[in-house]
Amino acid sequence: METYSISTSGKQNKFSIKRLFSQSFAYLILIFGTLVTLVPFIWVIFTSLKPASEIIRIPPTFFPETWTLDSYRTIFTDPHVPLALFYFNSFFVATFRVVITIFTSTLAGFIFAKYKFGGKDAIFGFILVQLMIPFQVVMIPGYLILVKLHLVDSLWGLIIPSMVDAFGIFLMRQFIEGIPSELMDAARIDGSSEFGIYWRIILPQLGSAIAALGIFTFMGTWNDYLWPLIVITTHEKRTLPLLLTWYNSQHGTRYDLTMAASILVLLPILIVYAIFQRRFVRGITMTGFK
Amino acid sequence: MDNPTILAKQNKGKSKFSALERVKNKFVTRSLTPIMLYMLFFSLLPMVWAVVLGFFDYSPIRAGSSFLGLGGQNPFIGLDNYRAMFLDTQPARVFRSAVVNTFMFALLVLPINLAITLPLAVIIESIHERFKGFFRAIYFMPTISSSVAVAVMWGYIYHPQQGLLNSIIRAVGLTPPKAWLTDPSAVYFGIPLAMIAVIIAYIWQDFGYNLILFIAALQGIPREIQDAARVDGANAWNTFWRITLPLLKPTLLFVCVLTMLSSLQVFVIFDVMTNGGPRNQTTPLVMSIYQNAFRYQNMGWAAAISMVLFLIILFVTIVQFKVLRTDWEY
Repeated sequence: METYSISTSGKQNKFSIKRLFSQSFAYLILIFGTLVTLVPFIWVIFTSLKPASEIIRIPPTFFPETWTLDSYRTIFTDPHVPLALFYFNSFFVATFRVVITIFTSTLAGFIFAKYKFGGKDAIFGFILVQLMIPFQVVMIPGYLILVKLHLVDSLWGLIIPSMVDAFGIFLMRQFIEGIPSELMDAARIDGSSEFGIYWRIILPQLGSAIAALGIFTFMGTWNDYLWPLIVITTHEKRTLPLLLTWYNSQHGTRYDLTMAASILVLLPILIVYAIFQRRFVRGITMTGFK
Repeated sequence: MDNPTILAKQNKGKSKFSALERVKNKFVTRSLTPIMLYMLFFSLLPMVWAVVLGFFDYSPIRAGSSFLGLGGQNPFIGLDNYRAMFLDTQPARVFRSAVVNTFMFALLVLPINLAITLPLAVIIESIHERFKGFFRAIYFMPTISSSVAVAVMWGYIYHPQQGLLNSIIRAVGLTPPKAWLTDPSAVYFGIPLAMIAVIIAYIWQDFGYNLILFIAALQGIPREIQDAARVDGANAWNTFWRITLPLLKPTLLFVCVLTMLSSLQVFVIFDVMTNGGPRNQTTPLVMSIYQNAFRYQNMGWAAAISMVLFLIILFVTIVQFKVLRTDWEY
């Protein structure tokens, strides 16, 4: 690796054997990594396109000998799997959580960034402390609270306990601090209310921060498993990840079906990712979100 | 923040607040109060409640007093839940193996993840601009995927007869293990095979995240610093170890802390792939908390375990900050 390749990116266009060698080596590793990343996906897609008789063959085939959509047809026509309903459940929870989280995070972040008031530091400290508390600690009392509120086994039970996000507030405060206060003063002269300043001056400038928070709240909610597992008990109220584990337990050895079901769960988020790929990447580097 | 010129009307009274300040205060109070009350109810209350539960022999199926269901048939037992962790009983043994499993998992995931993501980030940064985005996009795909789907996928990949992995191993003429996920006697270097299998799947899903953080950090290092080192005669290897790596230290700290935190809280992939087995060899702490609280309805005991998890996370984070802290920036 004793070459230019490590530190330069296109700046050293000087052709040399050494450089050619190191570049080839770099691409070789990257292509190997691409195979390791993609082959499991491809294997799963191919499996879902095989007939049931081909699944049980040993050794297994990689490419389907017979291509078929039977597995998808079986899932779509299964009366126990009203797919549209499960998609709706997941979308319903994710949409509400994204919209509400963005609203509360930007509003609170705005206040902590731009206003002075008594106890501000203490309150903000309390918000930071929450970042240190793992979800698994508050999960048990959180469930007991839901029982008292009669929100167990309800989609609202997945939304209401997570309407305010400490990290979102922290993130938005960082961004809003960078917005010049003169804009706010100008708006006040024009007779704007404080909420009007938030709505018309601050919010429109938070585009990329809101996109990042929105994407990761959506992803987190869409892929969330532990909390729905605790809260939801009725089959019809399951979100997609719960549906998948249930379906897996019902059809454990029919891998054509379980792989097709996995694809169906993965598909929406992969499509969103394909469209907003750059925003995902920028969002991560901007927020360090997980 | 004060701007006296825009005061619509100066109040003549003795009030120490100007009209504008009063408007601001009203806005702050009205907006923040609901959010704070919400946080008291959904964040502070559960935190305090979890601590309290750890001191009780609490089960939601037993009748307690009217105050949070504590007392009555859910008696206060002081530190007994914590003392019970050291006893020679079945639940205590499961708990202790969960602590070991969790540490084993986190301490293996972190170095393996770094050994893959850091060199890979350097390699991606070294290639032509046009292809960087392509590889980055591919490598990040597993990270956005649902953990449940990934676990179901990998469960099949590890299938002893029909799985992809064993087929590949057989195709190159080697003998694959007879069962990746269910054989309790398969232990390598003290690490159960099922644990190794889950770690591989977990890293496959998770590496794209750290990769992107490292790439961003590498892009943030000013070109001139590296160029200066090269002018002074340092080769690429030395430039990386002496210049680039020290400059990456803040990112390294961040990546280490986040990777540790998330792997100490691992649950989904174990729950779906192994369900804790074989013989609790792959039960992490969070699964132990979940099972005790919601399957066995033993919430006092589960809350005490969750406190142990919290202390472990706190301790690990503090240690990492102490070890990797830097006082300078570029």
